[in-house]
Amino acid sequence: MASSLTGLGGRLAVKSGYLHSLSRGFAATAGAPAPEKKPEKTTYGPLKDQDRIFTNLYGRHDYRIKGAMSRGDWYKTKEIILKGSEWILKEMSASGLRGRGGAGFPSGMKWGFMNKPFDGRPKYLVVNADEGEPGTCKDREIMRHDPHKLIEGCLIAGVAMGARAAYIYIRGEFYNEAVCLQEAIHEAYQAGYLGKDCCGTGYNFDVFVHRGAGAYICGEETALIESLEGKQGKPRLKPPFPADIGVFGCPTTVANVETVAVAPTICRRGGAWFASFGRERNRGTKLFCISGHVNNPCTVEEEMSVPLKDLIERHCGGVIGGWDNLQAIIPGGSSVPLLPRSICDTVLMDFDSLVAVQSGLGTAAVIVMNKQVDIVKCIARLALFYKHESCGQCTPCREGCSWLNKMMWRFVDGKARPSEIDMIWELSKQIEGHTICALGDAAAWPIQVSASFYF
Amino acid sequence: MLRTTSKLAHRALTASVQARAFSKDFHDEMAPIVRNRPDAAKKSLEDFVNPPGPKVESITLSGIRDEVMDIAGIPEEHVIQRRARVFRPAREATQTAWNNTKLWKIELDNRERWDNPLMGWSSTGDPLSNISMQLDFASKEDAIRFCVKNRWEYEVEEPKERQIKAKAYGANFSWNKRTRVGTK
Amino acid sequence: MYRVPQLTRLATTGARIVTSSARGQQTAAAPEKIEVFIDGKKVLVEPGMTILQACALVGVDIPRFCYHDRLSIAGNCRMCLVEVEKSIKPVASCAMPVMKGMRVKTDSPLTKKAREGVMEFLLVNHPLDCPICDQGGECDLQDQSMGFGSDRGRHQNQYDGKRAVEDKNMGPLVKTSMNRCIQCTRCIRFANEVAGVPDLGSTGRGNDMQIGTYVDKFFASELSGNVIDLCPVGALTNKPYSFMARPWETRKTESVDVMDALGSNIVISHRTGEVMRIIPRMNDDVNEEWISDKTRFVTDGLKRQRLLAPMIKEGGQLKQVDWEEALYVVARKLRQTPADQIAGVAGGLVDTEALVALKDLLNRFNCENLYTEESFPTVNGGGIDLRTNYIMNDRIMGVEDSDALLLIGTNPRYEAPVFNARIRKSFIHYNLDVGLIGSPVDLTYDYDHVGTNAKALDDLLAGKGSFAEKLKSAKKPMVVVGAGVLQGPQGAALLAKVHQLADQLRSKQSDKSWKVVNVLQRVAGQVAALDIGYKPSVEALRDGKKSIKLLFLLGADEASVSRRDIGSDTFVVYQGHHGDAGAEIADVILPGAAYTEKESTYVNTEGRSQKTLPAVQPPGLARVDWKILRALSEIAGKALPYSSIQEMRQRLAQVAPHLTRYGEVQEANYLKQSMELTEKSSSAVNAELKPAQLELADFYMTNSITRASPTMAECVRAARKHQQNPHIEQPKRHTAASAM
Repeated sequence: MASSLTGLGGRLAVKSGYLHSLSRGFAATAGAPAPEKKPEKTTYGPLKDQDRIFTNLYGRHDYRIKGAMSRGDWYKTKEIILKGSEWILKEMSASGLRGRGGAGFPSGMKWGFMNKPFDGRPKYLVVNADEGEPGTCKDREIMRHDPHKLIEGCLIAGVAMGARAAYIYIRGEFYNEAVCLQEAIHEAYQAGYLGKDCCGTGYNFDVFVHRGAGAYICGEETALIESLEGKQGKPRLKPPFPADIGVFGCPTTVANVETVAVAPTICRRGGAWFASFGRERNRGTKLFCISGHVNNPCTVEEEMSVPLKDLIERHCGGVIGGWDNLQAIIPGGSSVPLLPRSICDTVLMDFDSLVAVQSGLGTAAVIVMNKQVDIVKCIARLALFYKHESCGQCTPCREGCSWLNKMMWRFVDGKARPSEIDMIWELSKQIEGHTICALGDAAAWPIQVSASFYF
Repeated sequence: MLRTTSKLAHRALTASVQARAFSKDFHDEMAPIVRNRPDAAKKSLEDFVNPPGPKVESITLSGIRDEVMDIAGIPEEHVIQRRARVFRPAREATQTAWNNTKLWKIELDNRERWDNPLMGWSSTGDPLSNISMQLDFASKEDAIRFCVKNRWEYEVEEPKERQIKAKAYGANFSWNKRTRVGTK
Repeated sequence: MYRVPQLTRLATTGARIVTSSARGQQTAAAPEKIEVFIDGKKVLVEPGMTILQACALVGVDIPRFCYHDRLSIAGNCRMCLVEVEKSIKPVASCAMPVMKGMRVKTDSPLTKKAREGVMEFLLVNHPLDCPICDQGGECDLQDQSMGFGSDRGRHQNQYDGKRAVEDKNMGPLVKTSMNRCIQCTRCIRFANEVAGVPDLGSTGRGNDMQIGTYVDKFFASELSGNVIDLCPVGALTNKPYSFMARPWETRKTESVDVMDALGSNIVISHRTGEVMRIIPRMNDDVNEEWISDKTRFVTDGLKRQRLLAPMIKEGGQLKQVDWEEALYVVARKLRQTPADQIAGVAGGLVDTEALVALKDLLNRFNCENLYTEESFPTVNGGGIDLRTNYIMNDRIMGVEDSDALLLIGTNPRYEAPVFNARIRKSFIHYNLDVGLIGSPVDLTYDYDHVGTNAKALDDLLAGKGSFAEKLKSAKKPMVVVGAGVLQGPQGAALLAKVHQLADQLRSKQSDKSWKVVNVLQRVAGQVAALDIGYKPSVEALRDGKKSIKLLFLLGADEASVSRRDIGSDTFVVYQGHHGDAGAEIADVILPGAAYTEKESTYVNTEGRSQKTLPAVQPPGLARVDWKILRALSEIAGKALPYSSIQEMRQRLAQVAPHLTRYGEVQEANYLKQSMELTEKSSSAVNAELKPAQLELADFYMTNSITRASPTMAECVRAARKHQQNPHIEQPKRHTAASAM
């Protein structure tokens, strides 16, 4: 399969000016940073081809090192590393990149937390590739089609935080992706980009792939750490935060695949370039995964703050049955509250505007539901998912999720009393904010919103 | 019917919000009742020991206690031969709360009990056998005073205080300590 | 078990492992206290404490299920949520460290609502079978749902049902009813951390999460019964006690245990003159909050094989008689026998009062032949004349301060399980290094196995080997020698060697109160007997060395003196509570009281005198031991000068004042003199040091009470069967031999 992919990639290889433009961008930022303030944009998207970071998102080209290098990966990595940790952190901060895993914490700041004096403990970067959020399929595309972006990102992020090694915790079901990734790591080691004296910089860095065993909760950072340590994937309480006590008790940063994978491009083209997309505080480009009742479900890289309607109309061929047939949209994977139709018309796809409408960007997995669906049943299905994936550690989530699930299916069957609508809302409020990790919140939100809009 | 009328009267008197809550629970028997006393607070031990309000000056009756015992008519075997132990009970190992350990108690020497063949209940010939269950004292001195008054010999057992040592959740994941013992 | 993958992973990444951590040192140095506010009340707490602990300091009890003072923090029950100002969400107070100026509200509406919510969730799947649940009446869930829960449930049981979980079989001691489990994981943490037996764990996830042993097996720990107390609900209950009594109908008597020499503090629950169960009583100096399974489950042994009436042997048959007759026969013998032909032997369970009374009685007849069954070397270092020689000088608590511990010829795991739990605690929390000379047993923690032969002591004296280095560099080293290996003819030489080693270690100590040398006794009565002046060992009575015509066995049940040793014409009087080895050879039996039936004094291995209180009356015609001896003395014509327990105590104080200073340890001095009297010998002691109790099956039956207990017999059977279980894997311990 790999060879056929290579063949395909070779046949379809497009000679483009990407590489050229990339190097120009890099040189420009390195030379003279432009301090003048540009007027803020008011319209967002569509993203131009030359501004795309993931240029092999659809696997039309070679995923191996040769193809990756032709797309600009591993270009002047040595120079970036030699500029040092502070420079990388500065660029990351300037880019305004916020974590792509769902919580949207500013990456520059988060990586900076690791810059503490050495206390005898090695530091680790852990890449969260346990992409299990229903509706999300962005990290997977990166890992199988552009793994070198991720690996290079690991190295750069690792340098930025002074990490000794990176662990990529990949979802157990992603067997082929893990194979591609492992192959790419192998190539990077062969090429001298990883291991002892990476890229000839004198920096030692290792990347390991660790396959999970199929638990959604292992995508939560502390559960992921537990799982990586060989224990049951049950989240830890915070504090202590992973940056203090993380994997194997050492300072650790857990970052999403996409966050890490965009880091090299940001460093090459400059933080200012990345910051030129999207609204204030919601900078950059983003992979959106649109699924559900659209004519053409897809994963696409778009500018942040692109209007939701634009995103669906432009890239997915619209909602099945037309925009008017739209019932609701879950904008960021199953963990965020859904948006009723009225909000979908105008909302922008970024962190702040979605928070303003009581939802969230999450992983930017847009799940579209048209009027064909039984929304109560959809929510019940989500409740079943969370009930199944609750780790069982803390009480509100363990008991609450299964209770919600039972009630939701009674709603579906019509065996509930009207007073239970208020009750389920209250119950979800009893779960939300009382649990160790965010799974309880995630389970509660869809039900809360649907209880207020649809029941 | 009585209830309804009282409800109506109540409705007339109280604010509309509260009244609605009442009528709802009247109609829907299964609906949860909202607590209508949000200010309900658990009384602390302190409230009982030193109740708020003006303090009543304690009346000291000097010399009287001896005479009381002289004419009380309590059989001698329950006065002279009894020995009391003044103590604060240990925390029940089976439970985690500490509230029962705050008061002093008196326990008299333990006498025989037997299984009453009639009902299987526990019988005893000791009229004072319930002393340790019924009497609480706010302080050791109070308990001792009680023993002296009753002319019991007593011995005081000082309680074993617990030590509270700092503990950290992070120790479970410590990288170089043995506290990383297991998982749950 | 879980350390191994961690280290290998670190090794693969090539990370540098540094042994001393900067963070560790930070916590060691205690900076000034910080100020927090609990319900507006200011409290100064040590930094690093949790909110829950800070609340405990001001006497505010936060409801909790998973948190336990003596276990690690789990933070998963969420019952302890409290409101903290400036925090949007309620905070789990058991895990959150205090911060300066933090304002905690433990009684605010938000806190109350959070608790009520958690309580409702806990009750969703909890069966409401309180009326048939053994925990009823002492159940944390019951109490806290009354205190913090809602007044009604909203769960639609008829539609949604409740979780059903299969009960697990954990052996003859712990009964499970897993429907009631609220997954607080206390039992798991206890097994992993305190018991050191990683048998319990959780399987499944979400609502299907279950606590159990995964494969059907015996919870093979000598401390397993403690999970019954730890369990906040009725999921783990006491199997022998099941459906026996309710906590509110039992009386509780605070007492002391005699199953080992630690004197664990216990509470005896009894009803209608019957001991129902025994639970631990908190005492940080002795047993913290744990007791061994033997202590807890021995209760049925107290009801079986009891001696109920005085008996006299007539024509080879024991015949029941009344007290007058029995005492008269014994008194006559006592008067008729020449003093040097009388001997008394005391067993390990005998209380101090009876020991003193027997000694006084025989002394009145000019007899000095008083022995204990348990032996101890008398020749070296002042022998038993100096108290330092036979007690645990550095105390049980001392293990927590110690940084290197050498165990010699002892298996504390079975000889003193609670002490072993303390060692394990120090091993885990205070980085204690442990070395062992003796049979390589599983102590539940890693140790350096220095050798099996006493010759290894010479290597340590010479400073050879890695553990010698550790001992030498230790600030507070401790050497604990088991009384078991001091029994034989080599005992004296071995003890001398131990003293030599201790002296060598002590010479480097700045803290002169630290004595280094410690003896772990095996039986409860031994220290008191030696304090009073009994001669240890019955060696003098064996093989006809002495012609004994009247032998008084006071609870001597270990068959140390047999008929063969003393000849058939010796008149044997046995006074004790169980029909065991002693009663077998007796001509007269005087039924005594067990430790739950008398007010008596026991001195534990550290020399701490503690008091038992009578929970029930002695059965049948049995009487309290010292009173029997007092009565005997009167009939024999030499009445002892005490007739009440107060007078008895005065006599005790006369003999040795520390015997009546209850709860305290009288420090033993004359260490220097002991050293001067110790014969220094350069020749090695060649003795294999093998403790008597090597594995779990050896643990349960060690004295006359446990031998009479069907539960203990059941345990032995279960432990033997457990060894045949193909699914068990012995946990890997790192001993020096395997590490090197």
